[in-house]
Amino acid sequence: MVRAVWKLAAAAALLTPLVASAHHSFAVFFDPSRNVSVTGKVKAFRFTNPHGLVVLEVTDAQGHVREWRAETNAPAVLVRRGWTRDAIKPGETITIEGWPSRDGKPYIRLSRALRPDGSLVGSAPFGRQDQS
Amino acid sequence: MRLASMALALAVLPTAALAEPDFTGFWNLSFGAGEADPALMAKLPPDTVVLADTGAAEFPRMVFGGLKLKPEALEHARNWRAEDDMTLQKVCLPPSIVYSVQGPFPFEVDQTRDALIFRYEYYDQIRVIFMDGRGHPGPDYPHTKMGHSIGHWEGDELVVDTTHIAASTITNNGLDHSDQVHMVERYKLSADGTRLEATQWFEDPLVLDNNGARFIEWVKQPGQHISAYECDPSFVLEYNATDAAE
Repeated sequence: MVRAVWKLAAAAALLTPLVASAHHSFAVFFDPSRNVSVTGKVKAFRFTNPHGLVVLEVTDAQGHVREWRAETNAPAVLVRRGWTRDAIKPGETITIEGWPSRDGKPYIRLSRALRPDGSLVGSAPFGRQDQS
Repeated sequence: MRLASMALALAVLPTAALAEPDFTGFWNLSFGAGEADPALMAKLPPDTVVLADTGAAEFPRMVFGGLKLKPEALEHARNWRAEDDMTLQKVCLPPSIVYSVQGPFPFEVDQTRDALIFRYEYYDQIRVIFMDGRGHPGPDYPHTKMGHSIGHWEGDELVVDTTHIAASTITNNGLDHSDQVHMVERYKLSADGTRLEATQWFEDPLVLDNNGARFIEWVKQPGQHISAYECDPSFVLEYNATDAAE
């Protein structure tokens, strides 16, 4: 089931310096004025630099399955937020919230991951100004 | 009596060697950095704009924080596309010290009298700051992403002068510096030794009509260590495997 929630942020945010990523620019690559949330079954979880990455199989209301990918902060940053290399396991269902890529692909930058009971993966979400 | 004097002198030597501030340790970016240190800021040269993109912050496309770009640099930035960096060839290319010094990753310092070693977690970059009085090498010396750094103490401030930096990004949004960029940093410890503050100043006559600077602050986190970065370029295949926009 797909659940995409888009939220508009203040237009002024576009004029403000935004989050840095490990290599490509967050501010240029992702749209910080919108949030997206997707729920699906984990297909894979990479725990490598420059970013970790979750591949999620998301089923929409018509039953169509589409792969979404969510890149995370660098693994060392994840570890400092309580993640481990198996914090997310293939086969489990999770919800990922984050900022969508500007190119419109099903590709997002993860701000937090939630388990079905609402508990957070790791010890704290990833904000726009506290990435390390 | 003479022996006692010699013993006293020897006993004093190590202390004298440590007369300068000790930057040794693990330093993580301070995400709650306060106001920039006025004394450090006052030493920035004229015609310098202070960029508000330190740490986790970054400028959006075609925003450069007051830097005045020469026409060629502006045209390059206008044609630059973030997606073009998502290739196997480019995704693991480290930035130069001009950008990485202010990124949201920690670094560790090892300090001796003749050199300071800055080990950055970001892209496993290692930087030697020579403190033995040598100058910069000649113009034919190789240019690298870390450049060639020489330092000296001015009171309790470490002043680092860096040249021979290979061309790379300044703001990670299409503005690149040339290999003629010149950078000067001033570092100092807070009174209680728990914070490290710095200004990073740079000039590039081939790219900029004014000069840029940043104020950066890190906090000491005893017991921590930097992790290996070991960038894996196959990461970019995931992006390329993602469906096109609907």
